[in-house]
Amino acid sequence: PATLSSSVPGNAVQLEQEQQGRVVMRERYLRSLSAMAGHPVRFTMYEKVNVTALFEASDIDILNFHVSELQTPLGVQRDALLRCSDIISYTFEL
Amino acid sequence: MTEWQRKTPLEWQKYVTKEVNVTAAEKHDYKGWVLTVDPVSANIVLVTFLEDGKVSVLVVLGHAVQEVGIVKEADDEMREKLALLFMPGESQSHGQ
Repeated sequence: PATLSSSVPGNAVQLEQEQQGRVVMRERYLRSLSAMAGHPVRFTMYEKVNVTALFEASDIDILNFHVSELQTPLGVQRDALLRCSDIISYTFEL
Repeated sequence: MTEWQRKTPLEWQKYVTKEVNVTAAEKHDYKGWVLTVDPVSANIVLVTFLEDGKVSVLVVLGHAVQEVGIVKEADDEMREKLALLFMPGESQSHGQ
């Protein structure tokens, strides 16, 4: 992303805490993406569209998801790219 | 950018290991334990531990979040469960 949200700079201790928080939260999110790989995921999109696909990968900025076996009303797409801006939520089970 | 996306990491961190209600775009409401908030996308990862030992993970995209309300804090047992989720080497029921 072009900018990352951050509290007012200048307070070194707070900045350090903020960075530490960022690290912990990002790592957990990346691990959740990794756990999702190869699993069926249900995507809730805008305009009441729901699709299911196997999750393959995300780009680093979490702007696009690569999925496979995307089930659509027109059939199954072997590979597809979903724009994260089109997605409201996604869910999977472990 | 939504108000949620404009929060700072320290503000997002306040929601981690809390049970929350998330109101999202198109009147979707979600509830679960916050595992994390991705600082890059502000995506909220909600976890529900199901009765059969399975785990349901639901992620609300940061740009779609309208409101997040805290329901309660995790006790030690829940905090531990959340900390161990997705960590390697744990005996969890996900096939890899």
